This record gives sequence, structure tokens and C-alpha cells, in this order.
Amino acid sequence: MKLLLRSQLFFLLSLLISLSHLQECIGFTSSETTGAEIMEEVDKRHKQFPYIYEEQSMILVDRYGEQDTRKARRYSRVEEDGTVRFLLLFDYPQEVKGVALLANREPDGKTNKYIYLPAYGEQLLESADEGNGDNFLGTDFSVENLTGEILSDHRYVRRDDREVEKVKYFVLDVYKAKNTSTKDRILRRHFIQQDNLYITLTHHFDKHRRIARIQSHHDLKEVDHDMLRANMILMENMKNQHQSLIKTSRRIFSHDYVPLEIFTAEWLYENYPHIEPTEEIDTDDPFDKKETTE
Amino acid sequence: MIEQIYMLGYRHRAFVGLFLLLVTIFTAAGLQRLQIDTGIDSLIPADDPSRLVYQKVMREFGTDNKTIIYIKDANLWTPEKLAKIEELHFAIEKIDGVNRVDSLFTLHTVKGKGGKIVSRPLLAASPKTEEEALDAKKSALANPLYQGNFFSENGEVTAMMVSVIDAEDSNNFSRTIHLTLEEQIETYRSDFERIAQVGPPRINAELKNSLYEDFILLGPLSVVVLVVSILIFMRSWLSAMVPLVTSLITIIWTFGALGWIGVPLNILSAMIPSLIIVIGSTEDTHMMSAFLRGLKENPGKNSRREAVKYMAKHIGLPMALTVLTTTLGFASNLFSNIGLIQQFSFAATFAMLANGFITILVMPLMLSIFGADESTSILKDMERNSLPDRIMSVFRYSQVRFPISILVFTAILCAFFLFQASKLYVTNDPLSYFPSDRPLIQDAKRIHEDLAGIKIFFISLESKQGKAFQKPKNIQKLADIQRFLTHQGVYDGSISLADHLQFLNHEFRGGSPENPLPESRQLVAQYLMFLHRGDLDNYVSHDYRRANIVVRHNITDSHTLNQYIEELQEVIVKIAGPDMKFFIVGENLMVNKAAESLMTAQVKALALLMALIFLIMSIMFTSFKGGLIALVPAIIPIALMFGIMGYLDIPLNPGTAMVAVIAIGIAIDGTIHLLARYNELCRRTSDYDDAVNTAVNDEATPLIVSSIALAFGFGILIFSNFTIVAQFGALAAATMLFSIFANLLVTPIIMTRIRLVGLYQILSMSIDPKVLDGSPLLQNMSNYQRRKAILISELHEFEKGELLVKQDTIGRNMHLILSGEAEVIRRDGNESHSLAILKPGQIFGEVGYIRETERTANVLATKKVTALRFDYERMQKDLKFFPNIVAKLNFNISYILGERLADMVAKSKNK
Repeated sequence: MKLLLRSQLFFLLSLLISLSHLQECIGFTSSETTGAEIMEEVDKRHKQFPYIYEEQSMILVDRYGEQDTRKARRYSRVEEDGTVRFLLLFDYPQEVKGVALLANREPDGKTNKYIYLPAYGEQLLESADEGNGDNFLGTDFSVENLTGEILSDHRYVRRDDREVEKVKYFVLDVYKAKNTSTKDRILRRHFIQQDNLYITLTHHFDKHRRIARIQSHHDLKEVDHDMLRANMILMENMKNQHQSLIKTSRRIFSHDYVPLEIFTAEWLYENYPHIEPTEEIDTDDPFDKKETTE
Repeated sequence: MIEQIYMLGYRHRAFVGLFLLLVTIFTAAGLQRLQIDTGIDSLIPADDPSRLVYQKVMREFGTDNKTIIYIKDANLWTPEKLAKIEELHFAIEKIDGVNRVDSLFTLHTVKGKGGKIVSRPLLAASPKTEEEALDAKKSALANPLYQGNFFSENGEVTAMMVSVIDAEDSNNFSRTIHLTLEEQIETYRSDFERIAQVGPPRINAELKNSLYEDFILLGPLSVVVLVVSILIFMRSWLSAMVPLVTSLITIIWTFGALGWIGVPLNILSAMIPSLIIVIGSTEDTHMMSAFLRGLKENPGKNSRREAVKYMAKHIGLPMALTVLTTTLGFASNLFSNIGLIQQFSFAATFAMLANGFITILVMPLMLSIFGADESTSILKDMERNSLPDRIMSVFRYSQVRFPISILVFTAILCAFFLFQASKLYVTNDPLSYFPSDRPLIQDAKRIHEDLAGIKIFFISLESKQGKAFQKPKNIQKLADIQRFLTHQGVYDGSISLADHLQFLNHEFRGGSPENPLPESRQLVAQYLMFLHRGDLDNYVSHDYRRANIVVRHNITDSHTLNQYIEELQEVIVKIAGPDMKFFIVGENLMVNKAAESLMTAQVKALALLMALIFLIMSIMFTSFKGGLIALVPAIIPIALMFGIMGYLDIPLNPGTAMVAVIAIGIAIDGTIHLLARYNELCRRTSDYDDAVNTAVNDEATPLIVSSIALAFGFGILIFSNFTIVAQFGALAAATMLFSIFANLLVTPIIMTRIRLVGLYQILSMSIDPKVLDGSPLLQNMSNYQRRKAILISELHEFEKGELLVKQDTIGRNMHLILSGEAEVIRRDGNESHSLAILKPGQIFGEVGYIRETERTANVLATKKVTALRFDYERMQKDLKFFPNIVAKLNFNISYILGERLADMVAKSKNK
């Protein structure tokens, strides 16, 4: 009997929680909610963990369907002052092992990017994309596409919701924050699933308001309560007919996996020293093992 | 048999008319199915093995089928101008069928300075300020990969590369793309100093437009030229109308049949109507001449019918032969492996055969309705026509006075022109089909001068090892090949993976003046991470096993290009080494390579045609000498024509290459008519010189008239939009004029030295075989030899009461009676004694034949007698032409005389 009462109590409690959550969602889907409010909620729901380690495969598909595969480790770390550190370290193919993209986003939004090429020499080369948000290292992604956008830098204009295959979406157009007119250049359009507030589709526009790239997120995994992460991110370059697919095979949220020292040149030089010219090298795939997600 | 066929149109007008009408209606229905093919593909041999390699390389490294949009402006690098280029870029991208547009708005560049690397689009969007524009200019001109390809050295010219894909393989694709691009360009024309497009769609569209214009211009012009020439020389409307009717029917039949069969028209087809009208008219001229002669020789009640019969009898076989040789001339190209020539050859062969057939049916039909009933002054006027008459008076004088000198002079002339012909070169470049002052050619020239030639070929290297082209030593091979390309000094530029890596190394090293290649495989791979796959699409395969060097040039001389390519091949073999395969491919190269096969194919076709003509003429005149003589008037004009080509720097191309065989086919027609007439006259006289003169007199006018008409007809092709057609026309016209010289000046000199017997005469001879079997003169001879022996004699007919031989006269000939009856009567004073009655098969006068002596008796025809006369002088001449036959005849005469001597001895013994 006691057991029965306890289970009934648990059921009622769950019902109350669900109802409150439902009320939250119903209120949220109101047509009066602004684009900025939706984005704040998206950010809050799926905000970045401070310490993330991921093992990724990058599959680059050219216009003829030919594929190149790269393997990389991705480290990201958010400091208490808001600085975001990002390191993408390539492991495969063997020729590019040790190539690294190191990025720091200061609290004021300024981003510095450096590239390390072990075969070139022990020197960090500053990578300046001159604000074009261009792709990095031959992929169709820009760093911003992977680290997420800073809400304060942008203005979000809500468009009519859409329903595709019985899934409802918020549609938000993204502009630079300093621009206030809708005649200004639209940067991208987010399609946010209303049931989980996850941006599953983004259209990136060029200057002529044409879709230049389409970024879509697949294989969503719940990593913490309602927090989701996509295990596959596909970027389609409409102009060049390329595709870049990032597949995450392993993900760990742990401070231990992302120590501060790895975001330094010294760590890179020590672990991936300058490679002297050789003709033959081992081309074994270091990640040739069963993929797991933690 | 042949005469009966020729008489069909006369005897069965309604039936023939209905037949022609039905076939014309049927073929006309095929006209709407006609297709036009002006694609480059038809210039490449279908069996070219490099075609497959080319297609493979194209699949991997992208097409060489690109349109270049050339933009020139002194103020190109200003925000306004760049904004216009950007607008144009995006407008072109929206065009259906456009697969890719590369311009300064899609180019990517890497710049290194002071430890910084900037990897960015050259211009993501049109700049807003002058500074931005100038900065972009600086970056663009500093990038060696783009200079010459996208930008001129001074930065005043930029190019947009437009790749198109005809997904539906539609017939009008090129034209549609060209017009749509032109529409867009037109919008921006006033914004730049110059803007133009050059590429396969424009070339294709212009080829098609020019083809239509040629059809509209050349056909009617040929009609005018034909009518005017015939009216001038023959002064008869009917003579002008008949070829027009036959040509019109032939054109419908030919193009209708092509429509039904599915053979497309190409740029050479533009001249088919003119060829039909002009070449077809020559037969009509000969037939009309024969008809007029027939009227003259058959005055009276049924003169028209008799004249048509005369025409059929005298022109029938020569015309069949001339149609055959003309057709062979065109057909000799049927086996060309170049589609363009093969398709034209098929159409022209069909047209020539159809025209011969139609003429045979239509000419008698029209003569039966509209033909004159009595000989008019036309023939006399024709014969006395000033131009042919003047030409002939000069020729006759020369032939009589300087026969040997003429032959020697001709030989020297031929030798000189053959020497000039050694300078001949081949070209098959589609751009050379257009005159040099055409805007398309001018635009192509500008692109070549400011950027690089619009012609592209690829050097593709393939290794067995994966990632071979990440290894510095293999990349070095690409650089070495490019160094050799520069050393050859004939190409405008080349780009490969090596250039990209040199550039990256240069930028990463902070712009050091030397641009060595990266020294390690890892560095190569790591540098390449800064490029998109799209940046390297044209230069390396995704697995780095194959690399591609893109070469641009503007060489139009196929032979020169082929020589450089051969030289290049030899060097690449050494550079690439045994472990690496390589291919040098490009549509442009295949087209140029086909030019070489064009040369060999023409030599083969020429040799084959001459062999065939030699064979046919040898058979027809039962003499190899006849065959050789028939070739003389063909060889002389051809030698002169090739010499003129060499002298005037006219290349051998798909148009000019055909002149030789076609001209031989036509020039031989006059020779056939000449030889046939000479042969006919030889049956009536033992004076061969006189026979030659008469034959030349009879045939000179139609031969000169038809040759001049042909020259005019071919001459109008110089108004064609295509250089190759114009060159064909001019050369063919010159060859026709040369053939007058050869046929009427040189051939007669040789003819006097030969004696011909026509095979058709031998076969068509109707003599009672019993007569031949029973004749002692023809004993131990085969039927063929007997017939030939008869044909080298003279045929005479005697009416009843006429003397065949007169007593006491001297005559060195003997007779063989073929039909009738004659009596040998000896006259002694006032008394006459009948010595013998001669029947068919018997001979008389053999003593006079052997020895010059007086005739001892009269031979009188008691019935109408047909007899062959064997003249001693003539037989002596014929001994060298027909040694076997004359020897047999002499043997039989000896036998007959021996028998007679034996009889006489026996008689005297008995006495």
C-alpha cells in the first residue's frame, strides 16, 4: 500500500513537472515571442559545455562525389571570463598529422586564429580571414559555424513558423547586430525545431541573398537532460557543389580532457615537432576502431 | 540496252513523269527530318583511340569546352566596373545549362606576410571603395596562377570562364546558350570598352548561321551563273532550263534522302546544291550538243525522235561512264574516318548518281515536249562561238607546230608545281574555317594577345601508386614538363599542381623571390589543406594518382602543332619514367591529329580513284594505253592545283583536300567524251591525225563550255562564309580551267599516237557468227579477237551495182565480206568474164594488200554489201597498238596466199 501511494505520488509529481514544462513551451510558441528571445532560449537549452573533447571524422565530398576523409580531435574550453578556446588537431591522413587550428575568442568577441603546420616548421601562422567567415582548411565550415554565434553580435528577426513533415520550426533570419534595417544583408536563416529548440537547419546566404551553403544537424543525442548535440553536421556548398560532413564518434565533457596547456604553441611543438622531409610515411588510420560516444 | 534506257523518257513520258513525281514527293517528305551538325565532333575520327582517353580525362578534370567572356576596360578595377562584372557573373550563373562560372568573384587566393596567412576569395563581393578595388587588383596580378588565364598583364582585361552542360543533349543547345549569353553581354556592352564571348557555343552557332546563309546565297547564285553561261555559249533557253529542272529534282531527292536516312548536313553540305547545279549541267550540255548534232544529221519528218535516238546512241555510254567517274570522285571519300568529310561524301555521291539517273529520264522527256524539230543555227553558232573557237585555234596551231615542245613544257610545268606542292601543310582548325576578318576570329585573336589562346589541351600523368602527386619528386616532373613547354616557345601558358604548390610555398615563405616546390610530402599535403578541392579539380585527381597540366595555345597549323606534340611526347617519356603513364589529350588535338589522317586519306583516295579510272578506261578501250591517256588530263590539273596551293600558302583542309579527287572525277568526263568520239571516228578513217582533229573539233565546244561553266559554278563558292568552302571553290574552278588545257592541248598530241577500240563496240557488234567461223582471214582466232580485228578495220557499205574494187587501179587494201554478195569480173578489152561470186566470209584483194600492184579485176556488188576493209598502211600502224591481232591477221593472210599458190601450182601441173 505504501508502495502504491509512493508510486502515485511520483506520478502526480511527474505530471505537474510535465504540465509546467508544457505551459512553458506553449507560452514560448506564442507568436509574440521575438527572434532574440527564441535564440536566448536555444542558447540556454543547449549552451556550450565549458570543456568538450570530441573525436571527429571529416568527410569532404567534391562535385564528382569523390570523398576525402580526415580525422581530427576537437578541444574546446570556455573560461570563466568568457574566453572560448578552440583547438582542432588533425590525426589523419598521416601527412597532415599534427596540423592544428587554434582559435581564441575573447570576451569582447574578437577571435584570433592560428594555424600550425608541423611540416612547415615550429611556427604558428596567424590565419586572418579578414572577416569573411570563410571556410577553414579546405572544408566548407567556418570556425563560427562550429563554435556557435555570439547572440549579442547579431540581430534575429522572426519569420513565419513552418511545418515540415509534421515537425514545427521557428524560422529566424540572422543579421549583423549593427544593422537595423531588414533591407540589410541577411547572413543566415535558422530553422529551429519547436519541440526541442535545436537548430537543425541553417541556410547561409551570400551577398545576393542566395543560399550559398546549407548546414544541417543530424543524429541528435541528448547529452544532459534536454541538452542536445548533433553527431553529424553536414555543410553543403551550393556554389561549388561540395559537401563537408563532420561526424563525431566520441565526445567527452571533462576538464581533464581539455587542459589549458594544449591551447599553446609550446604544447603543439612538443607533441608534434617539425617533420623533416621524408618520402615514405605510415598511412595507417589511427581511428580505425569502433566508434563510441561517451 | 543503254539506248533503250535513254529512250524511256521519250517513249513513256507519262510513266516516267509519274515515277519522277512520286519519288520527288516521297523524298520531299524527308526534308523536314533533315538535321544539321556543325559540332566539332564530326572533325574527329570516330575510331580515334585517344577519344576514350580524352573522355576519361574530361570526366576527371573537367571539360575543355569553355566559353571565355572577354572584358576589357582601362578602368576595370573600380567599384562601379567590378559591380557590373559581378552582376554579369550572377546573371550568367542563372542561365539554364550553365554549369559553372569562374571569374574574379570565385577565385581564391592565399597571401602570406610577416607570419600571417590570409586565405580568402579574391573578391567575395564587389568592393565598396577604390582602395578595396585596387587591393584586389594587386592580389589578382600578383597571383601567377591567374595571370594570362583570368587577367592580362596590365590588368585591363579579365576573363570569365563559363562551363556549360547540355543535359538534354538538345540540338539547339549551343545556339540557345550563345544567344542567351549574348543577350546578357549586350546589357553590359556600354559599360566596358569591349566585351565579347568566344567558345564552342558561339563557334557552333556561327557555323550554323553561316551554313544557312550559304544555302540561301550559293544555290541561287549557282543558278544565275549556270543560266547566264549556258545562254552565252548555247543561246538556248531549253538548254538552260533542262539542267535547272534536273538539278531541282536532284536537290529534293538528295536532301530528302539524307533526311530519311538520318545523315546530317554539315558546313561542306552548303556547296552541294551548287555542285549539283554546276556538275549536273555538264552532262546536260553534252546531251544537248548531241541532240543538236542529231537534228543536223537527221533532217526530215521524225527529226526530233531521230535526234533523241542519235543522242542516246552517241552519248549514252560516255555519259554513263562520266557519271560513274564523277560519282567515284566523290565516293572516294566515303571511307574517310572524319565524319565531316564522310557525311559530305555520302550526300554528294548520292547527288551525283541521282542527277545522272534523273538527267537520263528528264532530258529525253523534256526534249520530246520542248525540243526543236529542225537543226537551227545554234549548233553552228556554238561551233563558231568566239571563245572556244579562239582557244582551239591557238591550241591547234601549237599542236601542229610544237607538239614535243608542248609535252616538254607541260612536264616542266608539272615538275615546278609539284615542287611548290612540297610546301603544302595541313590544318583542321575549326576557327580557320572562318575568314580572318570575321568578328569571331578577331575576338579570339584579342583573347590570345591579351590573355592566352582559346585552345586547350591536357597533359595527364598517371601513376600506379596512390598519392603519387603528393610526392615532391613527382610534382617536380610536372614542373619539368612545363619547363619544356616554355622551352618549345609555341604555347601561351600552362598550369598544373606544381604551379599551385610553388605559389603556396612562395606565399608561406613570405614572398621569397625564389619559388621552389615544397620539399616534403607532408608539406605538400599540409599546404593543400588551404585549397578547396574545387581549386584543384582541373589539376589533380582526388586520390593524387593522376595529375593534369592544362596548356593553352593559339596554334592553327595542325602539322606544326602535331610536330611539337610529338617532340613533347618524346620528352615526357623521359621525364615521366617507366612507372608513369601519360596522355596528351584535347578535342583540339584530336581535330588537329585528324588533319594528318586527312592527308594520308586523300593520298589513298587519290591513288584509289586513279587506279579505278585507269582500270575502267583500260577495260573500256581494251588498252592499258587508253587507261594511261585518260589519266593524263587528270594528273596535269591536279599537279597544277597542288602547286598553286603550295605557292599561295593555301592549306590542305577538309575542303581543299577534296578538290583533287572531285576534280579528277569531273575532268575525266571531257577525256571520256573525247576518247569516245575519237574511237568512233577511227572506224571511218585510216587517217588518225584527222580523226583526232575531228574529235577535238566536235568535243571542244561542249568541253570548253562545260569546263568554263564548271569554273564559274565552282567560282561562286568563293562567296561562301566558310574559308574552306571558298578555297575549295577557287581551287576547283582553277582545276577546271587547267583541265581545258590538258584535255584539248596535251591529250590530242598523245591521242595521235594511239588507236583505241571500245569494249562496248566489241560487245555490241552484231555479225553472223557463221560468217566469222567460215572466213579464212579470221581462222584460229577467239571470238573476242575476231571482233577486235573487225573493229581495227574500216567498215564500208556498198549499194547494189557499186564497185568495191576497180580493175587496173592500185590499192593496198583487201576486203572481207560480212553480208551481201559480190561478183569478180575481169575485163579484157570489151569482153568481161565472171571469175567468181563472193559470199559473206570470203576475202578479196589480198595480193594488192601484200604488194603494190594493179588490180586484175573489178569487184561489183550484186546485192547490198557490207565489207570490212583492211588497209595495209593502217595495219602497219596498228601492229604496234594491237600486235597480237595484226600478227594473227598477217599469218592468216599468208596462209590464204599460200593456199592460193598451192592451188595454182596444182592447176598448172594438171594442165
